[in-house]
Amino acid sequence: MRIKSKKSQREYGLLNSSDLKTAKYKLLYGIMYAIMIIIALVCLVPVIWVALSGFKETKEMYAIPPTFFPKSIDLSKIPEIISKINFGKYIFNTFNLIIGCLAFDIFLNGIAGYVLSRVKPKGSVVLETLIFWSMMLPGISMVPLYMSFADVPILHVNLLGGYLPLWMMAGTNAFNIFLFRNFFNGISMSYIEAARLDGCSELSAFFRIILPLSKPIVAVVAIFSIIGSWGNFLWPYLVLDKGNRTISVLLYELTTGTTVLKNNELMLLLMLAAIPPIIVYIIFSRQINGGVDMSGIKG
Amino acid sequence: MKQRKKYSLQKRRLSLGGKDISGWILVIPTILLFLFIVWRPIYIGMKYSFYSLKGFTPVEFVGLKNFKDVLTDTNFMQTLKNTLLYVFWSLIVGLPLPFICAVIVNELWVGRTIFKTLSYLPCVIPAMAVYLIWKMIYLEGDGGLLNMLLYYLGQEPAKWLANKNIVILLIIITMSWSGFGSTMIMYLASLQGINRELYEAARIDGAGFWGRIRYVLFPHMRGIVLLMAIRQIISVFQITEQPMTMTGGGPNGASMSLGLQMYNYAFKFGQTDRSLAVGVIMFVILIGLTVVYFKLDKKYSD
Repeated sequence: MRIKSKKSQREYGLLNSSDLKTAKYKLLYGIMYAIMIIIALVCLVPVIWVALSGFKETKEMYAIPPTFFPKSIDLSKIPEIISKINFGKYIFNTFNLIIGCLAFDIFLNGIAGYVLSRVKPKGSVVLETLIFWSMMLPGISMVPLYMSFADVPILHVNLLGGYLPLWMMAGTNAFNIFLFRNFFNGISMSYIEAARLDGCSELSAFFRIILPLSKPIVAVVAIFSIIGSWGNFLWPYLVLDKGNRTISVLLYELTTGTTVLKNNELMLLLMLAAIPPIIVYIIFSRQINGGVDMSGIKG
Repeated sequence: MKQRKKYSLQKRRLSLGGKDISGWILVIPTILLFLFIVWRPIYIGMKYSFYSLKGFTPVEFVGLKNFKDVLTDTNFMQTLKNTLLYVFWSLIVGLPLPFICAVIVNELWVGRTIFKTLSYLPCVIPAMAVYLIWKMIYLEGDGGLLNMLLYYLGQEPAKWLANKNIVILLIIITMSWSGFGSTMIMYLASLQGINRELYEAARIDGAGFWGRIRYVLFPHMRGIVLLMAIRQIISVFQITEQPMTMTGGGPNGASMSLGLQMYNYAFKFGQTDRSLAVGVIMFVILIGLTVVYFKLDKKYSD
């Protein structure tokens, strides 16, 4: 039974089951597997190598002949490095960044997507076009944006140092606005019409009707947002004060700054920085795959 | 009856109803943020590129002086050439890789999910960790992974990132490693959309494996591949973080990109005005491509 179902799935590809009976296509199929196995190894080996090297002694790192596996895996090195560079503080800061970005990302981009999709006030096409165009406009704005954060127009306050600039940037994610909009397009208008007849305001319609119906897309945006903020580097580096710096900024400073860290210690730290998003990914890989499908051709 | 309902709907659209007002009120925060973060910076970036700046405050209008300074800088042509080289290598390495992988994974009976998951794994590793992992792989001396491999192949250790002839290619390999998984999944989704009857029809017409690729798969995938290519050109042209963290633009400027130059002018050398001029130059070069992208996007997404 199982074989049969696989066979029917099989028909979707370039090769079907009768092709695979000939030697030529069998060989081709084998080559394809070989290529993918090599690619999978290229994806995996660097990560494993770094993870293992973190446990090597300095001498082992440069040993001749070089070794791939460490002599021993001494787990006490992990708490050692965590306390040495005050890792907990950076984790806390990174969470600060993530939570704010998540809130701005989902509510602002979600509401914008909702308005563009289901409310469509008169003239919203103009707004949609403007947002669409700014999605890819080249990064001319590094300096002017920094200037704006340093001296916000009209209000004349300096936002540099804290997380607010980064949160606000998360709230202007055109890509996510269109992701939300495309999803909301699939929600029947009759739900919203009914809510309006019941005297629901647009905002409460969004929170009470749209959001509960949109768990899949909210999950996708949330996962991308969390993984994205965790790895975000350049703007946190430019904006955040020393006390507010995140993991990614810490990693950069450890390679350029004054704190001297041995290569094996750095590798252990790299592994610690990579593990949380990998865990998030493993738990939610189905949603992520679905999410890339959802964003699909309409990048 | 139906007609009348439609008519009244149309009539309602002509005047600004409560729906319009509350809709616009809801997007006020978004509009303000876009003004502040996206649209206004583009405008002031253009404007102040014609000014001299002291720190981050504009002083006076100087016309084209900043552009002249930037373009006559002895390193500018080299930097522009490097940037184009980044784009070139990313098209050679980074464009076909996810496509080929997607076509292959789409064929496999067993292990499809595993290959998908492993290919996506590098995408979730924080960018900074990716750069540093690869910096370690390319490490000079005996500590690097590649030199370890060379040792076992009986070769002398190589210089990798310190070799000015391959440094850009090595950075692009790093970039492709960390990004190809997400593109691959996108291509996979598109491949699933091919009607399998087309393959069968092609088979009956005597098309072999390559024939099916040429007459069925390519025509279907052409649009999305083209879009991804333009997107890639635009994003690689702005490459900044990778050379900044992996090489600092070295050796001897061999991996310096326009983006990193823009960053250095502003945050390293305190020449903000020049940085703005570089930004405008990049903008002018890329705006044409962006227009093409949106034209194609409109064409292929319908």
